Amino acid sequence: MFRRRRRSESDFAEEVRAHLELEADDLRQEGVSSDEARFQAHRTFGNVRAAQESFYLRGRWAWLDRLLRDLRFGLRSMRQSPGFTLTAVLTLALGIGANTAVFSVMNAVLLRSLPVADPQRVVYLQDSGSPNGTGTIDSHETFSYAVYTALRPPNGALSDLMAVGLLSTDKIGVRIGSIPEQAEADMVSGNFFSGLGVRILRGRGFTPQDESTNASVLVLSYDYWTGRFDRDPNVLGSTIFVKGVPFTVTGIADQGFEGVEPTHSTDFWIPLQNRLEFNVLGNPPEKGKLYQADPTWWCLRLIGRLAPGVSRQQAIARLQPVFEHASRIGLGNPMPGEHPVVLSVTDAKNFGGDYADQYGKPLHMLMAMVGLVLLIALTNLIMLLMARNAARQREFSLRLALGARPAELLRQLLTESVLLVLLGGALAWAFAVLASHVLARWALIESSLAPDRTVLLFTCAVLALSAIVLGVAPFRTAISGGAELALKTSAATAHTDAGKSRLGKSIVALQMALCMVLLVGAGLLTRTLVNLRNIPLGMNTTGIVVFGLNPQSAHANPQLARFYQDLRTRLRALPGVESTAVSSDRLGSWWSNNSDVMVDGKHGDAPDGSTVLVRMNDIGPNFFHTLQVPILLGREFTDADGTSEHHVAVVNQLFAQTFFPHESPLGHKVNDFTIVGVVANHKYRSMDETPIPMAWWDYAQGPGEGGMTVEMRVRGADPLSILPSVQKIVAQLDPNAPLIEPTLQRQQFERTISQQLLFARLAEFFGLLAIVLVATGLYGTLSYRVNRRTAEIGVRMAIGARRGQVLWMILRDSLILTAIGVVVGLPLAWLTGRALASSLYGVQPLDPLTYLLSILGVALVALAAGALPALRAASIDPLQALRTE
Amino acid sequence: MPTQQPSDDRIALLQGTLDLLILRTLLLGACHGQGVARSIQRQSEEVLFVDHGSLYLALQRLEDKKWIRARWGVSENNRRARFYELTPKGRDQLAEKTSQWNRLTEAMARILNAAGPQNEEV
Repeated sequence: MFRRRRRSESDFAEEVRAHLELEADDLRQEGVSSDEARFQAHRTFGNVRAAQESFYLRGRWAWLDRLLRDLRFGLRSMRQSPGFTLTAVLTLALGIGANTAVFSVMNAVLLRSLPVADPQRVVYLQDSGSPNGTGTIDSHETFSYAVYTALRPPNGALSDLMAVGLLSTDKIGVRIGSIPEQAEADMVSGNFFSGLGVRILRGRGFTPQDESTNASVLVLSYDYWTGRFDRDPNVLGSTIFVKGVPFTVTGIADQGFEGVEPTHSTDFWIPLQNRLEFNVLGNPPEKGKLYQADPTWWCLRLIGRLAPGVSRQQAIARLQPVFEHASRIGLGNPMPGEHPVVLSVTDAKNFGGDYADQYGKPLHMLMAMVGLVLLIALTNLIMLLMARNAARQREFSLRLALGARPAELLRQLLTESVLLVLLGGALAWAFAVLASHVLARWALIESSLAPDRTVLLFTCAVLALSAIVLGVAPFRTAISGGAELALKTSAATAHTDAGKSRLGKSIVALQMALCMVLLVGAGLLTRTLVNLRNIPLGMNTTGIVVFGLNPQSAHANPQLARFYQDLRTRLRALPGVESTAVSSDRLGSWWSNNSDVMVDGKHGDAPDGSTVLVRMNDIGPNFFHTLQVPILLGREFTDADGTSEHHVAVVNQLFAQTFFPHESPLGHKVNDFTIVGVVANHKYRSMDETPIPMAWWDYAQGPGEGGMTVEMRVRGADPLSILPSVQKIVAQLDPNAPLIEPTLQRQQFERTISQQLLFARLAEFFGLLAIVLVATGLYGTLSYRVNRRTAEIGVRMAIGARRGQVLWMILRDSLILTAIGVVVGLPLAWLTGRALASSLYGVQPLDPLTYLLSILGVALVALAAGALPALRAASIDPLQALRTE
Repeated sequence: MPTQQPSDDRIALLQGTLDLLILRTLLLGACHGQGVARSIQRQSEEVLFVDHGSLYLALQRLEDKKWIRARWGVSENNRRARFYELTPKGRDQLAEKTSQWNRLTEAMARILNAAGPQNEEV
């Protein structure tokens, strides 16, 4: 039996009643007057209700019971004021949701380690800069195969050394059925999964034998298995054609592991291969050598797992001599003054060092901004709650008079705030999950930014804090009336004290200041974005469609050149296609080929003697015509150049000005190429790059590039609608080649400002959110004050105040608060602008227009939020106002 | 808020002593709550003060433990009242608690009286 039959509460109540009568009888016998005796009996008994309450609670799970009653009461009082509840929950959901979303991005980009076993022991290898005479993908983060094989044998520093080779700068072509498609894939060393400690969900991972035999096996990522194969277990053992080569699916990696490429989510992995199709980045062999045989091609990313008990410093100390030796293999003696390359290691974060740098500062700024939004949201709610609790003061006073202890009122208020916060929090979480998806899309990040356990913890902490703040803050207002207030009859006599309304006013002023800061921040970032978007690209991108192509039927010139010539001819025949071109590096993709050059047989130096870095691209005929880049001198490449022995080059204006300031560059030589044309400067890697000397070679005269980008100018409102017909033509030429990342050239360029785009959009959103929050807060405060002052305003009007004066009286209040807010906000905004300075483009941190607009914005908010309460005050009928008194 | 404060020379009961006093009072015979309160106050010559709310909770607690039992009856001045009386179990408990209490007070007295002279030296 859990509990035997209980004595009823009415029985207890009767016993107490009996007690009071008996006591009064005794007192009367002692000579106390009849009425006095009853009063005295009551007084000596003390709080009858409290005793009954205690009796009721005896033996129950008191806290649970109390909680349930508080919850019921809280829900009831929330139902009674749905407007308040809705406002409060939405405010919380937006405030906390925005914080959760930004934090989950920050967590994914800056904090989260790789989802591997014991991630603290896993490090990325870096160096101080690859030696002269080498080609790299990243001059600090990629190494030659020779370095990999030298560092691999155990020497006590690392228990495992993993290598990753990129197959392409973007996606590669795969074929699962008959239709080719694109996928994100890496080739990795045999110990990749075992060394990282990534669990293989089904099947098996790779072994060192797979690497040494270049086995044609393949491990799918969980997300790819889910998204592409619908989690079909029978996919194990099936064949996937990777760049036309059949591979057998042998394993599926654990959920959550998305590979080691920052911002990308890898679809599958294959063991390191040593064949033409799988040279790193799909490059043609350099002097007949693939990456494994070419010590000058520093193209592998290396990941180490520290041996047990070995610190990073110890590991580097042991590796450095081996590395130093290996770094010279195939390079001969160092140039005079060349320093040995120094090895270092860095945390194996989800996002590599560059990304952390690139996103770190803006993310911290954003976090600060959403923090301000939350602050505004919370202060808003506190004001709302204070106003509401002031209206409920008589309820609280009555409850105090009936014997409730202040602690019980506090508990009640806390319960109500917890309820609000829980509702708001649930909504916030949903909002954040959605927002992080949108953010990832905006920022063009494929890796999951979805909130994880760390984010949940963060959100719970914010929720708990909010609940406490919102529960405790209005408590003073609630009990300030005391029990006596219950006896008073009118709302107006129950007057707010001056201190409290001062607090309310300073909160509003503070909100105005914060709003000002957010608006200035948003304004600066928006102007930056506008400036970036208006940067002239030096070409006409209207109707330019670009896509990548990775033909499997040809791997070197002249077959490749013929393939592209054939393709261009067929594409031009499509209706709507005006012009087509090809290039090795895609414009606006961040990729570029950079090197120093020889000009007329001499090392190309600037007038001051420093080496000039020249950006290069291999292109086909008609490239500048297609992009409508003005040709200033000479000509561009033609089909005839492709078969000619006479090697030609085109340079840009800056190149000409740098190396031939006083003469025409036509006829001069860059490396072994004769300059035949000069084109106007235009953008290459990104939208915000500064002009740099450039040179173009004819791709048909080189060894041939594995992956090329095709540009075509298409007429019509929707140029991308041409893609299905393009796909058909490509399929006729090569059944294994999908169109890789087809898009508009303009969009491709906008990707290079996606980060600024993201931050500007978010800042605008937060600015807007701040305005809405501040407006509702101000509106609430003012209407509450007008309500309270109804009688006073009635009297004023009765003794001759005109409506205009009343209107102005209320509006003046709101404008004065705004003015104070602006004055306080200005220096804060100045600080914000300075912190943002490095993220700005073409706009000063003290941009007068932005400040002016922000002040105007805040003033408008104040006017708009003040107008309704002011009008209501002005329309008070003095007679009625006084009668309600 | 009306609350009763014990006057200065009255002592609020120590935690747990109320049960003992109730049991002792009921040893003299069945009694209702108000009678128990009065009796304790009277017997302590108004030194001890019984909070009535606590008294009824204590009575209920003892009843729940089956140390006392209750029934409704009629008082000498013809009022309906709930009368409490000791159960055999309650009697045993009273004896045990009384001896515990005595040991405690003796020990306390020994310590407090011995500590006196030392304190005066300071």
